[in-house]
Amino acid sequence: MLSKSAAKAFFLIGTGISFLAFVGLTYDTFRQIPARTHADQITPEVARGKEIWDHKNCMGCHTIFGEGAYYAPELTKVMERRGEVFVRGMLRDPAAMYPGQRQMVQYDFTDAEIDDLVAFLTWIGHVDTNGFPADPPLRQHLAPAASADGRPLVFQQTCIACHSVGGAGGNVGPALDGVGTRRDADYLTRWLHDPSAVKPEARMPQLGLSDAQVTELVTYLGTLRTEH
Amino acid sequence: MKYKSQKVAYWFFAACMLLFSLQIVYGFIMAFAHMGFDGLHQIIPFNVARATHTNLLVMWMLLGFMGAAYFIIPEEADREIYWPRLAYVQLIAFVLVGVTAVIGFHFGWWEGRKFLEIPRPLDYLVVIDVLLFIANIGMTIWKGRRMTTTSMVLFFGLLMAALLYLPGMIDTNNQTTDSYLRWWVVHLWVEGVWELIMGGILAFLLVKLTGVDREIVEKWLYVIVGLTFLSGILGTGHHYYYIGTPRYWLIIGGVFSAMEPLAFLAMAIYGITMWRKAGRHHPNQIALLWTVGTCVMSFVGAGFLGFAHTLPQVNLYTHGTLVTAMHGHLAFWGAYAMLILAIISYSLPLMTGRKRYKGPTASLAFWASNIGMLAMTVAFGIAGVAQVTLERRMGLDFLDVQKEIQVHFLGLVIAASLFTVGAGAFIYDFIRYGMPNAEPTGSPLEDGDGDQDESSDAELAPEVAE
Ligand code: HEC
Ligand code: HEC
Ligand code: HEM
Ligand code: HEM
Ligand SMILES: [Fe+2]
Repeated sequence: MLSKSAAKAFFLIGTGISFLAFVGLTYDTFRQIPARTHADQITPEVARGKEIWDHKNCMGCHTIFGEGAYYAPELTKVMERRGEVFVRGMLRDPAAMYPGQRQMVQYDFTDAEIDDLVAFLTWIGHVDTNGFPADPPLRQHLAPAASADGRPLVFQQTCIACHSVGGAGGNVGPALDGVGTRRDADYLTRWLHDPSAVKPEARMPQLGLSDAQVTELVTYLGTLRTEH
Repeated sequence: MKYKSQKVAYWFFAACMLLFSLQIVYGFIMAFAHMGFDGLHQIIPFNVARATHTNLLVMWMLLGFMGAAYFIIPEEADREIYWPRLAYVQLIAFVLVGVTAVIGFHFGWWEGRKFLEIPRPLDYLVVIDVLLFIANIGMTIWKGRRMTTTSMVLFFGLLMAALLYLPGMIDTNNQTTDSYLRWWVVHLWVEGVWELIMGGILAFLLVKLTGVDREIVEKWLYVIVGLTFLSGILGTGHHYYYIGTPRYWLIIGGVFSAMEPLAFLAMAIYGITMWRKAGRHHPNQIALLWTVGTCVMSFVGAGFLGFAHTLPQVNLYTHGTLVTAMHGHLAFWGAYAMLILAIISYSLPLMTGRKRYKGPTASLAFWASNIGMLAMTVAFGIAGVAQVTLERRMGLDFLDVQKEIQVHFLGLVIAASLFTVGAGAFIYDFIRYGMPNAEPTGSPLEDGDGDQDESSDAELAPEVAE
């Protein structure tokens, strides 16, 4: 049978080899990290954004790279998923973006801090994570989503979180089917710049859209007409 | 208890009980928040509750290990603790730092790094405190009459745990590097050096409680810690799949972490074998139950449920979901919480001279907490698998899925209530044991060591089997 000294040798040699291999791999990983993470794009804004991220312990509710808590959405690809307009809205006033939902902390960030966090999340989104988070493999088995033809990106990212078109999307705001029949371009333009200027008690937050985005959106909304 | 200074362990264990009960309170706060009852959000938002819950956990584990070491090392080294006063100072300092940290969390004084939320200045204090502790037990072993494998494994486990804390303090503005180093603490603790500590404490308990020959126990101890490091060090790779590190970690992490359950399987077989081989019937059966229990439950929680999501193909979808929470609970409970409760169950009668291990509360504590924790694992597991399927595989929106799985958190709360009954019974018993004796209770209460004459046991254990 195995003797105690043989067992001890197994322990010491096994540990030694594993340790050396781990040190070697760590060395190589650190060599590769700058390229894989685009470390050259870690601007002062990104670094400040990470500081805020750490300082507020966003990881205590969210995950990033799949690490953190399981109370709030995974944020690695949030810029791609929701777009800058929505994320900024979220950081300005989370309760306005998700009224009546599970609560995020109301941080009252300054615009500069929001810039930093957005820069950080944008940088995170470009890190090569070996395919995480994966595209949902079963999505194709669900009812086909309404055709997204001709939708501006900002609509697909931001507006769809609260509004539905053709039955797909959020239900915080009214469905936008037929909005092109209900509202004219002038109304829509004013509405998108600042809903509360059109309707003081409007429940849609001001999203800080650029003029170009508003023009693009109004053109698109104009195509959403009810069939007679 | 042979030596007077061993009784400092009692105070470490008492602090454990206090932090453990607070930890449970914060667990309930989070479980209710998941159910939609987040009434405390303005005062204790989820991230505060979480940091408190997990840090209290880590703190009471460390206190438990230190208490265990102060109890075990004098006995193994055959002498009093080298600086008995330092042990008390070091305990009080640790608790003060811990309490400050937890209070600080409520005011946003923290670092947002999961499990390592303790702010930097307090990190230094923790390190100093733990190094003092290491020095104290190190001197005790050094000046002691014998140097056993058990005490050396325990010592090196604790030393390396302290050293591994340091890389976690390196500052970087690259999230990938940050996360890479965070795992040196988190993973290399629980799947590396803490297993050494566990092995040491288990070996001590098995020698004492089963009377199996020390040489045999310690030989298998080497095999187990050998398996641990052989798989666990490179197994760190299972956290390097998707954080921006190179692709080869998918293979290395996958292969080596898939072997990690072997160490836990070996531990389970070892515990059960020693138990069945037991040459005598030790009167403190409940301590033996916790000891064998920890061997088995660590295999289920860490080995089996760890394996369930460790392959990269699976982890791609389960990564960062409630599946991880399912595994985290049973692994921590089975491997480390039960281990500490085992050494407490074993040492309390010796330190206080009372024998409450015969009473019904002791059994209630074991069974209610274990069944409760298994049920919690099931609740987290169902919620987790549903989350993975709906959100990660079908692409539904995060919050929509959370609403679908809310009901499982009701299940969690019910299971956690049963668990709390068990934990409460344990703490009740702890209190009823009363204060430790001022003097060592000496040989009549001392139970035999595998390598010693065992006649002294007869007084305590009329039912000795031999
Ligand atoms: C108390 C928990 C909590 C904390 C802390 C928290 N969040 Fe959130 N966050 C949420 C929840 C919950 C949501 C989901 C939307 C909702 O219900 O409000 C969310 C949503 C978001 C979203 C939108 C995600 C999406 O997919 O729509 C972003 C971006 C975000 N949070 C960023 C942050 C940042 C940055 C921080 C740190 C400064 C942070 N959060 C801290 C709970 C939290
Ligand atoms: C945070 C959720 C939210 C987001 C994001 C959002 N909306 Fe709204 N929207 C609302 C709500 C709520 C209303 C109803 C406002 C009211 O009547 O008070 C509304 C109303 C509207 C209306 C008026 C509909 C009508 O029939 O009068 C239009 C048009 C509109 N939104 C377009 C958009 C577009 C385009 C976007 C993307 C840039 C967008 N919304 C993003 C919540 C949102
Ligand atoms: C008895 C009541 C308990 C309840 C209700 C409870 C509940 C919870 C909840 C809701 C979370 C957060 C999950 C999330 O991020 O959404 C959590 C995290 C955690 N809890 Fe508990 N818990 C309890 C007891 C324990 C015990 C006894 C242990 C250890 C033995 C433990 C260890 C942990 C760990 C390690 C985490 C972090 C998990 C991870 O990040 O994957 N908990 N707990
Ligand atoms: C006693 C031993 C163990 C304990 C206490 C433990 C605890 C934990 C905890 C708390 C986490 C969450 C960590 C975080 O996200 O910060 C975790 C993650 C993980 N554990 Fe363990 N674990 C143990 C052993 C194992 C073993 C043996 C395996 C594999 C066979 C394993 C596989 C994993 C994996 C793959 C993850 C990552 C989950 C994810 O991607 O979200 N664990 N473990
Ligand atoms: Fe791990």
